[in-house]
Amino acid sequence: MELDVVKAELVLPTHLSFKQVQMYEKYPKGQSRGRHWKHLKQILQAENYQNFPADEPTYVNIESPPSMHPCKKICDITGYEAPYYDPRTNLRYANADVFKLVRSLPNEYVQRYLALRNAAVVLK
Amino acid sequence: MPFISKIERQSDYHLFPSTTPIVIDNGASYFRIGWAGETEPRVIFRNIVQRPRHKATGETVTIVGDHDPALLRYFDCTRSGPRSAFDSNVVYQFEIMEYILDFAFDRLGANGSRIDHPVLITECVCNPVQSRSKMAELLFETYGVPSVAFGVDAAFSYKYNQQLGVCGKDGLALCPGFTTTHVIPFIDGEPVYKGSCRTNIGGYHITDYLKQLLSLKYPHHMARFTWEKVEDLKMEHCYIAQDYFSEVRLFQKGDKEAEDKTRCWQLPWIPPPTEEPPSEEEIARKAAIKERQGQRLREMAEAKRSSRINELENELHGLEFLLQQLEHVEEHNIPSFLSETGYVSKQEIESAVQRVTQSLRKAKGEPKGDQAEAEEKTDPATNERRQLFLKTTSEGRQRAKQKRFDSELERERKNQQDEEKRLENPELYLEQLRAKYKDLSEKVEQRKRLKTNGNHTNGNNFSGGVGRGERLNAAQRERMRLLTTAAFDRGKGEDTFGARDEDWQLYKLMSKDNDDDDEGPDQDEAEMARLSLRLQELDPTFVPKSEIVTSQPVELPRLRPLTKEDFQILLGVERFRCPEILFRPNWIAVDQAGLDEMTGVSIRRLSPVGQEVEERLTNSIFITGGSCLFPGMSKRLVAGIRMIRPCGSPIRVVKASDPVLDAWRGAAAYATAPQFLTQTFSRTDYYEKGEDWLRRYQLRYTL
Repeated sequence: MELDVVKAELVLPTHLSFKQVQMYEKYPKGQSRGRHWKHLKQILQAENYQNFPADEPTYVNIESPPSMHPCKKICDITGYEAPYYDPRTNLRYANADVFKLVRSLPNEYVQRYLALRNAAVVLK
Repeated sequence: MPFISKIERQSDYHLFPSTTPIVIDNGASYFRIGWAGETEPRVIFRNIVQRPRHKATGETVTIVGDHDPALLRYFDCTRSGPRSAFDSNVVYQFEIMEYILDFAFDRLGANGSRIDHPVLITECVCNPVQSRSKMAELLFETYGVPSVAFGVDAAFSYKYNQQLGVCGKDGLALCPGFTTTHVIPFIDGEPVYKGSCRTNIGGYHITDYLKQLLSLKYPHHMARFTWEKVEDLKMEHCYIAQDYFSEVRLFQKGDKEAEDKTRCWQLPWIPPPTEEPPSEEEIARKAAIKERQGQRLREMAEAKRSSRINELENELHGLEFLLQQLEHVEEHNIPSFLSETGYVSKQEIESAVQRVTQSLRKAKGEPKGDQAEAEEKTDPATNERRQLFLKTTSEGRQRAKQKRFDSELERERKNQQDEEKRLENPELYLEQLRAKYKDLSEKVEQRKRLKTNGNHTNGNNFSGGVGRGERLNAAQRERMRLLTTAAFDRGKGEDTFGARDEDWQLYKLMSKDNDDDDEGPDQDEAEMARLSLRLQELDPTFVPKSEIVTSQPVELPRLRPLTKEDFQILLGVERFRCPEILFRPNWIAVDQAGLDEMTGVSIRRLSPVGQEVEERLTNSIFITGGSCLFPGMSKRLVAGIRMIRPCGSPIRVVKASDPVLDAWRGAAAYATAPQFLTQTFSRTDYYEKGEDWLRRYQLRYTL
C-alpha cells in the first residue's frame, strides 16, 4: 500500500480487536458476496402486517395518502406552467418556442425527460 | 457547507467508564457517533461503503465513508460504486452496516476485546421488526454490546428543541430527510405514531432531479455533474419559492429580477489562442530562415550534380579507353578480352558510351546533341507513333476546349437573357426565380429522402436515429424484393423461367449496377446552386435552404468555435423547481401528499383530539432534518398549512436550532439520563422475550 493511503487509514482493517466475530469468519471468501439480503419490499411482505390490528401503526400504513390538491402541470423542459401537451412525444410544454425544441429533440432525450416523471415507454 | 465529515481517530476511548452510552445517529445520508452527554458527535461520515480493488496489489479492500478523492487514485473504483446499507430509510444490507459500524467504532478509538458500552442507535419510524432484530443481533453478537436502545431521530430532535424552548409539549415534527419525509405529532411530549405519516421523498430525490435536469439541459457537460457536485449545488443555490407559479412567471417574462436570481457556474474554460499577425521582425526572421534553407538545398543539389557529372565522365573515359584498347586486340581474342569487362560485344560498349554521353549532357544541362537527333531520325517507327499520339491528344484537347468554350458561351447567353428579363420586370423575375428555386429544392429533397428513405417514426427529424428497416434506399429495396420473390416463386407448378426472353431482364434489374442513379440530381443540384447564387445577389433577404436545415439548435455548438458561454451552467428555474418536489411529489411520479398537506393528514389521523389540541399542534410546527435547510421553507410551510387549516387557527413554524445535528444531540442528552438504562434491553432480554416483544418495543422519550 502507498504511504499516504496508510497514513490516512483509508482502508478498513480486516481484523478488529473489539469484534467477537470477524468479518472473514462471518462471510468467508467465495460464498460471502453471493449472500442475498431481502429488499425492503420483501421485508415488508414477510412482516405480515395484515395480521395486526388496523389501528396499530406500521411501516406500511403510515404512508401518506395520494395528494388531494389538483396536480398542476409544468413544462417538462423549462419548468414553466404548461397549458399544452404534445401528443406525439407526450411531453408537456409551455409555449411555441419550447414546442419547437420538443419537436427537435431526439427520441432518447424525450424518453429521458419522460422518465423524470416516470412516464417513459419501458420496453420489456 | 453544512455537512463535513469528521473521521479523525479519537484517543480518549479508555477514559470513558463502561456505563457511558455510545450514541449513534444512523441516518441514510450521514452516520454520526459519539458519547452520551457531549454536544458534538465525535465521528461523522457519509453512510456509504466502497469496495474497490487496489491497483498495485489487486486485492479488494473496504473503504467506508467519503475520503479525499485524490487518495482514491490508487484504487480501481470502476467495478463497484458507493453502496448504502439502506433501502429507502430501512437498513437491509447488514454486511455493509457491519463495515460501517467497524469503521465507526474503530475511529471512536475502541480497542478492548468488545464494545463495553450501552448503545443508543436511531432508526426510522415504525421500523420493520426484521431490520430491528438484525441490527440488535449484529450489535450483540459481533460487537458484544451489553445493551441496546432504539429511538427515532426526529423525535430526539424534537425533544432536544423542546428543552431549548423552541417548541412546545404538543406539536408536529416535520422531518424532511434524505430518502423520506415524516410528520410525527407529539402530544404531551410523546410521539404518537398512529398519527404520523411518511412520504417517500427527500433530499436524495431533489439532488437526483437536479442532476437529471442539468445533464439534460447541458448534455455536453454531463460528466461534470457528479453526485457530490450536484449535492453541493443544491445546498448552495436551491431555495423554496413562496409561490412556484408566480416565481416561474418572472423567469418566463425574463425580467431583471429573474436575471438576478439566475446563478451561473462557469466551468474551467481556456480561450483558444488568438492568431496575432506576426511582427516585421518575425517575418524577416522567417524569410531569412527560408532563404538559408533554400540556399542549402541549392548547394546540395549542385554538389550532387557535379559529383554525378564527375562519375559519368569517369565512366565515359573508361569506356573510351576500352574501345581504344579493343582496336588493338585481335579479332578472335575479343570475347576473352571482353569477358573480363562484363560487356559482350563492341556494339554494346558503343551503345553504353552513347548512353553515358547523353546522360552527361543532360546532367550538364546542354541541349540534345546532333547525334541524338540523328538517332531519332533513324527510328521512323517510334517517331510516327509519337506523332500520331501527339496529334490525337492535341485534337482531343482542342475538342474539349471547344466544348468548354461553347458551354461558356451558352451560359453567357443564358445570363444575358436572364439579365434582360430581370431588367424588363424585376419583380416578376425574382418571383419566378424563387418559384424555380423552391421547385428544385423540393425535388432534390424528395430525391434525397427517397435515397435515405427517411420515413422517420416520430416526426423528430434530424434525429439521426435510423431504424433497422430504414437503411436501404428505394433501389436497393426493390432489388431485395426481386431477389426474395425470385427465391420463393419457385416450386409452384412448372418452372418456366427462361422460356420467354423478358425473363432474363430480371437479372439486369437485380444486378447491383443500376444503383447509382446520380446523374439527374447532380444536374439539379448544380442548377440549384446557380439559382441560389443568383438569388443571393439580387435578394438580400434570401437564405439558402440547406442553411436553414443545418442551423438546428442541437448542433449549434459544433458549427462555431466554442465560447465562454458554452461553458456556463445556468441555474434559473431549477433553483426552486427541484426542492418544489417536496411539496409536489407528483412531479416525479410519487403519488403522495406533499409536505404541507402531510400536516393535515397527520392531524386527521389523530382525529378526535379536539380543536384545542389541534390548535396547540399547529402552533408548534417544528421542522428538522437536512432538507429543511432550504431558504424559504418556513414561509412556504406557513402559507401551505394555512390553506388546509380552518380560518383563524394559529400557525407557527419553527426551525430546529441545528436541523442536521440536533437528532444526535437530542439522543446524546437523552442517554445521559439515569433512567436511560430502563429503556434499553440486553442480549438475554432479546432472546427471551422474542420477536413480538421487539416489534412493540418503543422508547419513552419523556424520562
